[in-house]
Amino acid sequence: MNEISRQGIDKFIDNAKNIIDTFTGSFLRSGKPTSDRSRAAVMFNNFFLHVQGVKTHMNTLRPSYTLGMGLAAFFLFVIACVSGVLLMIYYNPSIENAYNTVKDLTYVVFAGKLARNIHKWAGEAMIIFVFLHMARVFYTGSYKSGREFNWVIGIVLLAVTFVVNLSGYILPWDQLSYWALVITSNIMQSPKELTDSLGITQYFDIGGFQKELFLGGLTPGKESLTRVYLFHIMLLPLVLLIFIAVHFWRIRKDGGLTKPEAFQPQESDAQLFSTPDKKGGIFTTNKTYGLMELAGGRTPAVDKDVENTVLSWPNLLLAEAAVLFVCLAAVVVYSFFIDAPLKELANPLIPENPAKAPWYFLGLQELLSYSAFMGGVGLPTLALLGLALIPYLDREQDNVGIWFSSKMGKSVALQSFFTGIVVLIGLLAAAIRFGWLRNWLPNIPQLIITIVNPGSIWVAFVIGWSLFVIKKTGSTRMGAIALFTMFLMSYIVLTYVGTELRGPNWGFYWSRSQWPSH
Amino acid sequence: MRNRFYLMTLFISGVILCAFTLFTAYREMQPEWKDYQNDYKELLIKDTRDEAAKKKARALEVAIQQVYLSKLKRIDRCTSCHIGVENPLAANAKEPFRQHSGEYLKNHELNKFGCTVCHYGQGRAMNKKEAHGIGHDTHWDYPIIPMKYIQSTCAQCHNLEMLKLKGVDRVVKGEKLFGENGCRGCHKLQGIGGDLGKALDIVGSQPIAYFPMGNVIGERTVYSWFKQHFDDPRALVPESEMKVHVTEAEADLLTTYILSLRSEEMPREYRRFKDTAGTERTMEDGEALYKKYCIACHAKGKDSLYDELFNRTVPAIMNPAFLKVADDGYLKKVVGEGRDGTQMTAWKAAAAGLSEQEINKIVEYLTSERPKVRVEPFAMASAKGDLKNGEGLYRVRCALCHGETGKGALGLNLRNPVVQGADANFLAITVRDGREGTPMPPFGKKGVGLKDQEIVDVVSYVKTLSKKK
Repeated sequence: MNEISRQGIDKFIDNAKNIIDTFTGSFLRSGKPTSDRSRAAVMFNNFFLHVQGVKTHMNTLRPSYTLGMGLAAFFLFVIACVSGVLLMIYYNPSIENAYNTVKDLTYVVFAGKLARNIHKWAGEAMIIFVFLHMARVFYTGSYKSGREFNWVIGIVLLAVTFVVNLSGYILPWDQLSYWALVITSNIMQSPKELTDSLGITQYFDIGGFQKELFLGGLTPGKESLTRVYLFHIMLLPLVLLIFIAVHFWRIRKDGGLTKPEAFQPQESDAQLFSTPDKKGGIFTTNKTYGLMELAGGRTPAVDKDVENTVLSWPNLLLAEAAVLFVCLAAVVVYSFFIDAPLKELANPLIPENPAKAPWYFLGLQELLSYSAFMGGVGLPTLALLGLALIPYLDREQDNVGIWFSSKMGKSVALQSFFTGIVVLIGLLAAAIRFGWLRNWLPNIPQLIITIVNPGSIWVAFVIGWSLFVIKKTGSTRMGAIALFTMFLMSYIVLTYVGTELRGPNWGFYWSRSQWPSH
Repeated sequence: MRNRFYLMTLFISGVILCAFTLFTAYREMQPEWKDYQNDYKELLIKDTRDEAAKKKARALEVAIQQVYLSKLKRIDRCTSCHIGVENPLAANAKEPFRQHSGEYLKNHELNKFGCTVCHYGQGRAMNKKEAHGIGHDTHWDYPIIPMKYIQSTCAQCHNLEMLKLKGVDRVVKGEKLFGENGCRGCHKLQGIGGDLGKALDIVGSQPIAYFPMGNVIGERTVYSWFKQHFDDPRALVPESEMKVHVTEAEADLLTTYILSLRSEEMPREYRRFKDTAGTERTMEDGEALYKKYCIACHAKGKDSLYDELFNRTVPAIMNPAFLKVADDGYLKKVVGEGRDGTQMTAWKAAAAGLSEQEINKIVEYLTSERPKVRVEPFAMASAKGDLKNGEGLYRVRCALCHGETGKGALGLNLRNPVVQGADANFLAITVRDGREGTPMPPFGKKGVGLKDQEIVDVVSYVKTLSKKK
């Protein structure tokens, strides 16, 4: 073997030895992350990671601040997407085959039942975590200081999360699906109550139009299933994805998550992340963005609190991976033990009694039982609109990043919670025990019931109470806390009443065991 | 350690995730049916003597077995556990491997018929509970049918003549009982029958949700419901007015028959009929018709009886005293038109669906024991009634039982169309001679002593009752 060929072989062996390092390096584009410089490069050189900053504020990494809930909602979405693709391999969206393919998935496809359970529970958990995330953002005042519109995008995401879940509920084409479809189409039709009582239905039947658009006909059938399938696997996930991307991008533009003005590192922080190396390193104590520095303004956050930031690689990525794995583990364990329901094949001749929507809509269904228009359209629209407008009606900019803003905020939240729960339960109990206007005045015009019913009275009370709090405390933030607390509480209470206390013909029962067995 | 919290979280959740992924894989690789197939394989290897068969048994592949039945719109995977159904060697093996009993599979090849078309149950399911579909939590409308009712499923493809010929007689016996116990008096079948009860055309295939299962004892299936409903209707449906008096064995036969009344039609190539003489409805004799349509309420018809369920007296329509008064025309009219306000059904073709000949036959049967001595006629038509006198007499003589306004109390409601439309002679004779077997006494010479003219007056007044308020 001559000199040249030996050199060649040596080079080849060297390359083979270093293959892992060189591959990682090329994958990360800037070599192995061994120094601060290369660690930073990992972040800004990566297509997926560069939406996050090179450095992350310590406050963001404290689990007591974010509780990882927004991220959990996002990861649940990813889990649902992946498991959903697996289900699509077998699922067939026709009324002849839908039910049978779901049955085959559960019985003969390897781990098909698990995939379906994961899909179902990840989707429903998304609702819970979107709510929890919203509560965290709200109570830490994170909808302020430039993040107002991102809060609005969050509300859109909440609404789409609801709808995407509902559309999935309809796909198995069992009794639950069919009657949820019927209820949903009735909700779509509910503006008819208003147009009927105004006598304009024949000119302007928006309810009927919505229903027909949704069902692809006058009654639920094969067109409805095709349509709902399209919504579920394409349109709505696409919308979610786009809005999530904007949601994340704006966080980055707003200088990361909110943090308290007076941030103090604590000793316990050392367990969470690698505290910044004060000596040396490539970073000055100034955070610079070149030209953007001159632009001034709030975004991006330049030169603020730089000493309290740590490198995102590995600190932030580790925290995110932890949240991902907790989500994965929790969903898999839950799905291992609890199966997604699948009832009898859809049968238009056998109404489920009570025909209930999926649990996350039962609060609305409870309101719906008082007035179709208010419960189906009026109040939900009002609630979403009210939530979306919170950042514009409360423009106080102090105490951002602090849970409940202040001691007073905490007590306002508690007071609102307890006052609200007493008033709401009292209202519901009175309506259940004594009936409503129709029971006393059988000939009352429907328009009056549409306007005056337990649902609208409750919303009026919430608005009145919030104004009262604003007046008493002189702070719009306190009013917002009162409003939001009551909104969350009423969602939970109404959902509970609709789920557990309502039986056949939407009658009141203390428990399921008291339902008549016919 | 730096980052300890997140590293620990990552580690613990990672371990849990891996563990449960493995658990799932393990669970998926150990399904119920695999155990059965392995046992079956062992059994075959042990039982066979000759080497070739042993070799064949060893080569048996453990895999999901399924029969795809495109015409019948189903997939049956039952043989994944019931793997020996076609194997004569498994004739004496224990369930679920045992060979199918009888010769049935010879004419009903497994790969053409599958299993669930005869046995019901959920063919797609891969575990015992859900495959058999028993229990509310399986959410399956057609659970596996108990063997004592299995013959009901034969009737999906075979007519009763053929079943009779083959000795599969439980549906036939059930139908006979159905005909003889007057079930059609209240239940319509193919458009013929009363309408006090539900029409039964597709009742055997109706999902469980149609049946109030609350009071069913034991397995809550439609099969148990029918059986227990035949035993005691009011135990299951307290407000039921159904009359049924059958023995335990008869209830099973009736259940088998009822379950054979199904909605879906089998594909033509699956059906095998034995030709009958004619497809027309053959005319039954009066007695058979009486049993089919009348006996449930009127029983033997000799004595009137107070019916606690209906809360009224059911007249004795074959009582000679009644027949002496009621002529054929009157009887035909009542049978044809029914009696408004009572449970008596209108049997004419447009209502309960009996033809005129059939009604005639029934009336012929009813009157077969009519006494030769006809009642002394009453010349009502030639007489003229005095309404004022009639009203006075009515208040004194009739109002106590029939009510001041004739709406009835202890006695009959005189305002009902049957009385109002009845022949005046008939009413007059009834007033004069009374009605044996009921509290109605004779008001003529033999009894209270009213004169014929007075009876004319009363009847004339009664005839005007319907116009009064």
